[in-house]
Amino acid sequence: MKNKKKSIWMEMWHSRYIYLMLLPFFVWLIIFHYGPMYGILLAFKKYNARRGIWGSDWVGLDNFRRIFITPMAVSSIRNTVLISLGRLIIQFPSPIVLAILINEMRGKRLKKVYQTIFTFPHFLSWVVVSAILTNFLSLNGAINSLLTWLGLDKVNFLTNRPLFVSMLFATGIWKGIGWSAIIYMAAIAGIDPTLYDAARVDGATRWQQIWHITLTGIRSTIAIVFILDVGGLMNAGFDQIFNMRNAVVSSAVEILDTYVYGITFAASPNYGFATAVGLFKSVINFALLMLANQTVGWLTGEKLYR
Amino acid sequence: MKKRKKRWDSVEILAFIALTVLAILIIIPFWNAVVIAFETSAAYVRSPFSWLPGEFTLDNFKYLGSKSSGLVRAYVNTIRLAVVGTLLGMAVMVVTAYAFSRNFPGKRPLFLIMLFTMFFGGGLVPTYLLIRNLGLNDTHTAIVMLSLASTYNIIVLRNGFESVPTDLQDAAMIDGANDFTIFAKVMLPLQKPMIATFTLFTIVGYWNNWYWPMLVLNSPDKTLLQVFLRSLITNASQMALGTEITGITDTMTVTYALGIQMAAVFVVILPIMLVYPFLQKYFVKGTLVGGIKM
Repeated sequence: MKNKKKSIWMEMWHSRYIYLMLLPFFVWLIIFHYGPMYGILLAFKKYNARRGIWGSDWVGLDNFRRIFITPMAVSSIRNTVLISLGRLIIQFPSPIVLAILINEMRGKRLKKVYQTIFTFPHFLSWVVVSAILTNFLSLNGAINSLLTWLGLDKVNFLTNRPLFVSMLFATGIWKGIGWSAIIYMAAIAGIDPTLYDAARVDGATRWQQIWHITLTGIRSTIAIVFILDVGGLMNAGFDQIFNMRNAVVSSAVEILDTYVYGITFAASPNYGFATAVGLFKSVINFALLMLANQTVGWLTGEKLYR
Repeated sequence: MKKRKKRWDSVEILAFIALTVLAILIIIPFWNAVVIAFETSAAYVRSPFSWLPGEFTLDNFKYLGSKSSGLVRAYVNTIRLAVVGTLLGMAVMVVTAYAFSRNFPGKRPLFLIMLFTMFFGGGLVPTYLLIRNLGLNDTHTAIVMLSLASTYNIIVLRNGFESVPTDLQDAAMIDGANDFTIFAKVMLPLQKPMIATFTLFTIVGYWNNWYWPMLVLNSPDKTLLQVFLRSLITNASQMALGTEITGITDTMTVTYALGIQMAAVFVVILPIMLVYPFLQKYFVKGTLVGGIKM
């Protein structure tokens, strides 16, 4: 017993340089990541700037109760969930389809050129992408001038609420599809090519090969990306919405993150309430991540973290 | 004997058509933006989309280049911040990643402490108050501190270090080298390509950073590129929306602002286009893929 204890200290002394290497990162992590977690106390308090976080009065769960009786908060929760579910249904499968299409297309050079194009928008911020696409989709923009030229009516892509939400999905795909496809393409590349040969000998059609070999082969990758996406269900894409929205559609795409932003930087902010809404969001996200991890792990044997 | 080329089957043709359409859909808006940046507002009003500038001009860029626009200031600030932030961040991330590739007592709890921050955080208000309480409001230091290291990058870098055979390190250890020497002399040189990749990614990250800069930096002389672009766009789009709602079309003002906006977009994208080939060289190889599973 004593011997073992001693050897632990010996081991730690032996690893002293390792600890020294970890020191700067953990000092930073504790100040800038765990520091704000201390501020979560505010969710249970009524913030008083003069008395600081610790000195402010406790209000128990009042801030959380308020979430469910504030119409804007409730509608932002609904919008968040709806937009996220829409993304899971429409955006989530798109890179999988893209990866399969790239895999099926012939011509090495052409593939490379296309991939270069597809991935590029990922490296731009939503500030930039929103500027480009807002201009493109606006009432006086290129798409509408094309529609006019074809003798069709102009379409209010950005100032019609349901259309704006579909534009969120479309522009989301526009920016992210190429980048998100990379992980699936790497997975496809890892599939044993002899499986395809064997299937061909057995007379399987191309579609059957895609379904039974390609899709089956990347099943675990799909599962992992799905877990991560479900863990972000309460996010719904702040960067995109914050940059693309306008006064007309604003309330329709008010999500939790934009709502928190709004009440934090309002003329008379309520920090306690804003923190509570933020915490509500993070806790649900975290719970969903764990739940998705367990469920998918149980269904497919594929887990993000054990 | 000549090998006959097999004709494309239906799946291949379908894939080709679908991908070509997607490629066009991605390129056209960029092309549209670049053309608007280089043409006069009159030409834009005549035709919102043209393949080449209807009437070529550099006025939009001349305006942006002038001192009063503030773009030059924002550009210099962003470059400075990106260089300092990347050097500091990479140093911390690489060293931490290497440490986590070794075995030592307490590794798992420390790793979990790090991993937890990837999925949970204090949120907007606590972070904002922390920055204010530390006296970092309106400083570039705040921006660097808020995005210094990424747990995800550390994990991928660690995977890279772990892929190096341990006998190499053991041999060095026997020769009397300590962990620092092994790290600097053996491991760093081996991981040069990966470190170069992440350096580029980090630089691009700083280049695209807008949220905290928007919240924290109040002085106009401290502004960064994305914040500059954002305010340029919000000012102009409010004007444009006003005309869409009221129907009063003061097209000249709106389109003039649009030309400047697109010119600014062009100037902001340009450096990313220049480093893009180097970025692409590595990410396709799947360097980043290994990290998704922890």
